[in-house]
Parts: sequence; structure tokens; C-alpha cells
Amino acid sequence: MSSEVIVGNKACATGVKLARVQVASAYPITPQTTITQYLSEMHANAEFDFDFVNVEGELTAQLIVQGASRVGARTFTCTAGPGLLYMHHPMQETGTWRLPVVMAVVHRGYKGMQPDHSDLMSQQWTGWIHWYVEHAQEILDTVLMAYKVAEDMRVRIPVALGYDGYVLSYTAEPVDIPSQETVDAWLPPNKALPSILPDGYDARKFMMELMQMLGGGDPQQAWRSHHEAIVGSEQVLRETMDSFEKTFGRRYGNGMIETYMMEDAEAAIVAMGTIAGSTRAAVDDLRSDGKKVGLIKLRSYIPFPETDFQEWAERVKSFAVVDRSICPGKGGPVFNKLRSTVYNVEERPDILQFHAGLGGKEVRIGDLYSVGEKALKVAEGGTVESLVEWV
Amino acid sequence: MSERMTRAQVPLEERGLTPGSACQGCGAALAARLAFKALGPNVIRLMIPCCPDTMTNNPLVVGVFEGGGAHLSGISRGLKAINRTDIKAVGFFGDGGTYDIGFQGLSAAAERNEDILVITKDNEAYMNTGNQRSGSTPQYAMTSTNPIGPRSRGKARPKKNIPMIFAAHYVPYVATASVAFPEDLIAKVTYAKGVEGFRLIIIQSPCPVGWRYSPEKTIEVSRVGVQSGVWPLYEVVDGDKFKLSYKPKELRPVSEYIGYQARFRHVTDVEVAEVQERATSNWEQLLKSDELGRLLI
Repeated sequence: MSSEVIVGNKACATGVKLARVQVASAYPITPQTTITQYLSEMHANAEFDFDFVNVEGELTAQLIVQGASRVGARTFTCTAGPGLLYMHHPMQETGTWRLPVVMAVVHRGYKGMQPDHSDLMSQQWTGWIHWYVEHAQEILDTVLMAYKVAEDMRVRIPVALGYDGYVLSYTAEPVDIPSQETVDAWLPPNKALPSILPDGYDARKFMMELMQMLGGGDPQQAWRSHHEAIVGSEQVLRETMDSFEKTFGRRYGNGMIETYMMEDAEAAIVAMGTIAGSTRAAVDDLRSDGKKVGLIKLRSYIPFPETDFQEWAERVKSFAVVDRSICPGKGGPVFNKLRSTVYNVEERPDILQFHAGLGGKEVRIGDLYSVGEKALKVAEGGTVESLVEWV
Repeated sequence: MSERMTRAQVPLEERGLTPGSACQGCGAALAARLAFKALGPNVIRLMIPCCPDTMTNNPLVVGVFEGGGAHLSGISRGLKAINRTDIKAVGFFGDGGTYDIGFQGLSAAAERNEDILVITKDNEAYMNTGNQRSGSTPQYAMTSTNPIGPRSRGKARPKKNIPMIFAAHYVPYVATASVAFPEDLIAKVTYAKGVEGFRLIIIQSPCPVGWRYSPEKTIEVSRVGVQSGVWPLYEVVDGDKFKLSYKPKELRPVSEYIGYQARFRHVTDVEVAEVQERATSNWEQLLKSDELGRLLI
């Protein structure tokens, strides 16, 4: 193990290298670009044995990894904002064919180039696992965990790993880099799905298997099994987090969520990505002022940690959800999902919606302090002017 | 360049799965049958949306319409990564997936010289969805989106010269073929199979439904297309070395080719003369290249 001060994109590329990815492909787009440069340098300098394909657009990048994953290679791609939208169609196929592709999404919004979560949130229906991470160390560690979960035979689902552009991609932080031997021992090579290779191939048998995979004549079954595999990945992520800690000595909550100062909290701020980082500082300030507010960092948006939130709903009196994206006319995705998740909890808490950091708008620790104050006020039986607020 | 092949050398083994779902007289179904005879079992076949032709007993990957070249590149890179370069990545696409919606990714795959073989069954329109015009539809052809009326004489512009566009990517192999010349077609696929790098074979695949002729005339239509110079058969190696595969002493008039097909039934003598002029001048240019053995663009 060594420790280096590196930017988020370097941490990501380092994770790709440690995971011994075999085929990577990407198209440059700010703020993801330097990942493609780091990978190109690693390829040019033969730092590890992999194929890096510099392509003419994101659609092709997604298809290169899809094709390579079909025959069993471990693959990686990365993009941001508009590039992710351009991948939308083949992403559906990567999901449908249950290919364990891992993709980093370095958040960039659509109304300008600054970060928000509208890029990855817009891809909810593509049938991928969606995780959001907070800092450079977590990027590297989560890349490794992504392969472990995606390639698990119980899952076989692609993973999109989102982190905030600029704030993380171009900001240097100290990162512990595990040794290659440790990673190799923890992360075995991907297993090929043999059915697509011509060895002993029988078209009729293959067609039968395909039909089976696509629901055995029931078109709805294909959606059901896809959905159930993603929901089932929650258990695999929890196991993976435990084994990751045993090997590497670090953990991020239970994998689905990570909590901070929640033990005796009356109100919880729910946040993702780098805003979760700022919220830690706001919680420290709230606590030093005697206010019992904690943080629930949402790591896995898909699958959504339903049982975790149902449990916390019984323990706190209010949730303040900070959404860094919005479905215009419908509202914040995390707020809406969380509210429906806790609907059946008998004494469910109040839930406040805060829109923050959209279009890269700065979210200060003071802003989050005030979010916490409002949540606490509601928790203590007080009222606020509106359940929805733009920070 | 491919080596001349006799009928006796054509592989006997059929790879097609029957029954197929192609129309009677489908040129593309025949193109697939012939091409996969030459390719044999050790390939992964990529299919993108297109007309049903002949399904073959080969591992089949189905992918997005716009992504043929890109997806095939990924399969090829993946096969290298798992040390299975013995398996060939082969795309069997339609003209829409080659000329139009799939063009960007295919051009880029050619520019990167990906180790892939792309075979296009060219029936000159979106026949799967009911004969809408494509970038491959020839001038004056009537399609369901180029109906004939006071403001329309069929398609207004000539088809893209796609083999030459790909030759201009300086790729190892580009060839044209026709279902009326099966030995030549199989010889070209056999040659292309053994070449490393980007290879493209465009097969003229007449469509009785869209071109509007009687299904039993497919081979006749295809043959006269070649013999009139509308569909010349040739090979280009590295965007430079050039060879005509078939050189009739004299070209048959394009009116014979046009006359078979009711998609051209509205054309005037002036319009036929225009098509004739383009076919003749293109043929003369190809003859010059053939003489030199080098492609003059």
C-alpha cells in the first residue's frame, strides 16, 4: 500500500488499473476528460495489460465495452453529462443483456457545465445499478467494489458510479492505494459467459436459452428478472462491503447508506456525493450548538435502501432530503422515492425537500446548517413555511 | 485480392437455419446463405435491425441499429482480451446500418482499422419497415417516402458511393459483390476472412417487393445490374490497389436493368440517359484504375 495526493479522476483511473480491466473505451468530455488521458498514459507506458480504445463518441464507447463484455472481458468506460445522454440507447442493451460493465459518471449538468446529478438521474430506466460517492478515496475503493458486485453471478448487472465533476474530478486529496497483490487476491478475474463463443455452439439451444432469459415467451418476465436482480444486488453489496473492510481496512457504512452522528439524532439530513461531505461539517456545527441532527449519506440510489430508511424512519422525527437534481414538474427524485419508501411506517417522520447545488450552484456549510435547523424544528413539532425549499 | 473460385470449390455445408422468414426471391437471404458458407462455424455474428435474411448456425449477438461498427469493434477487442483471436467478429448489416444510421461508428471503426468484417446486404431502401428511402436508394427510384407526384420524380439524388468512401479510409479490404455471381462472392468473403483489420463487402441484394419485379427474376436483375455497370464488381486493398472482378467486353444499357423494376417505371428517356451517362463515366474511370492496378478517385 502507498499513499498519494491525487485528483478524483486519477483515483478512478488507478482503480481501473488495480481491477485489471481488460478493455476500456471512452470519449473525452469535461470534467471526465483526464480519466481518458490517465488511461492513455497507462496504456502507452504498458503499466498494465489492457486495451484502451479512444473512440469518436460516447455511443461507440458504450458499445465497445458492451461488445467486449459479451465475450467475457472485464470492461470500463466513463463519461459525463451530455455524453451520458448520448449513450442512453446502448446503455439499455448493456442492462438488458446483463453485462457487468462498470462506468464512471463524472457529474455535469445540462444547464451549463457545472456539476449536478441530472445526468445519472436521467438514466434511471436503463437497468443499471447507480451509486454516488463522496471523495477520491471512495472513488478508488468503489471502482473495485463495483466489479465485485457487477460480476457476481447472483447479480450480473452493470454499475454506474457517479461523482461530482470539478469538485472531485479535479481536486487533489490524499488517497491510500492498495497493492496489486491485495486487490488480485480480493477480486478474481471475470468469468466469461461461454454461450456466446462458437465452441460447441448450437443455434437452437442458444435460442432456447435466449428465450428463457427474455422471459420464456412472457415479455414481462424479462423486466421482472432484471428488476429482481438489481434489488438482490443490495445483499451482495452489503457482503462486499464487509469483505472489503476485512481486506482493505476501510468501509462506507453498509454500502447502501453511510451514517454520521445518527445514534441519538432527532432529525436526519439525507444527501449524496460531495454535498454529503459538506453536510458532515454542518452536522459538526449543529452538534456543537447542541442540535441533534445527523447525516444519512445515500450511496446506492438504485437499488434504493428501502429497509434502511424504513428503520431510520422509526427512529427519527424528520428527514431533510437534499436533491441535487430535479425532474422538472415532478420534483426531486430522492425526495419522492424516500417519501414513498417510508409511507407504510406507522409513525412516519415529516419529510422536507431541499433543492440544492443544481447547475453547480455552490452549497455552503451554512446552507446545510440551516437545512438541519429546519429539519430539527419540524422534528420538535414546529412548522416551516414550505415543505419544499430552494437552497 | 481474392482468388478466382470455381463452382466445385463452393463449400457444400449449409449454415442457414430453415425455415427462414425472408420473402420469396429475397436477394439478402441468398447473400447470407452464400457468405456464411464461406465463413464457417468459427465466427460471432452481429445482427442489427434489418430485414430478416437467413439466420445461420453461428453465435448471434443482437445490438442497437446505430452501433454496428462500434459493437463489432468491442466484440473483436474482447476476443483479443480473452485470447480468442481464432474467432472472427462478423457483422451482417443492411444498407441503413451501413450508409445511414450506422455510418459514424462504422467510419470510425474503419479509421481505427478495427479487426472486423462487415458484410452489407444492400437492397437500397428500408425494406424491413416497408421500402422507405435510404442513403443507398438510387436516383429516381420510387420508394414509400419518395412517391411520384407533381413535386417528385422519385429519389432526387444518387446513392452514396459507400465502397469508395470506405476505400478512402485506407482499410485493408473493400469489395463489392452480387448474388448473381456466387463464386466471386464466396471467393471475396473467403479472402476477407483471412485478412486482419477492417474489411467491408457490399453485396447487391435485389428485393422483389421494394424494387417491384417478379421474385423469380432476382438473379437476372442482379446480373444485369453488374453487366450494365450500375453495380460494378471490384476489390480495393489498402485504399490503393484496385482490381475489377468482372469485365464485360461491352456494357449492357442501363435501360435493361431499369426495365425490370417497376420502382423506375415512371422514368423518362432523358432521366434514363442521365443514369446511363453516370454509369458509363464511372465504368470508364474504374477501367482506368483496373489498368493501372491502382485506384483513381
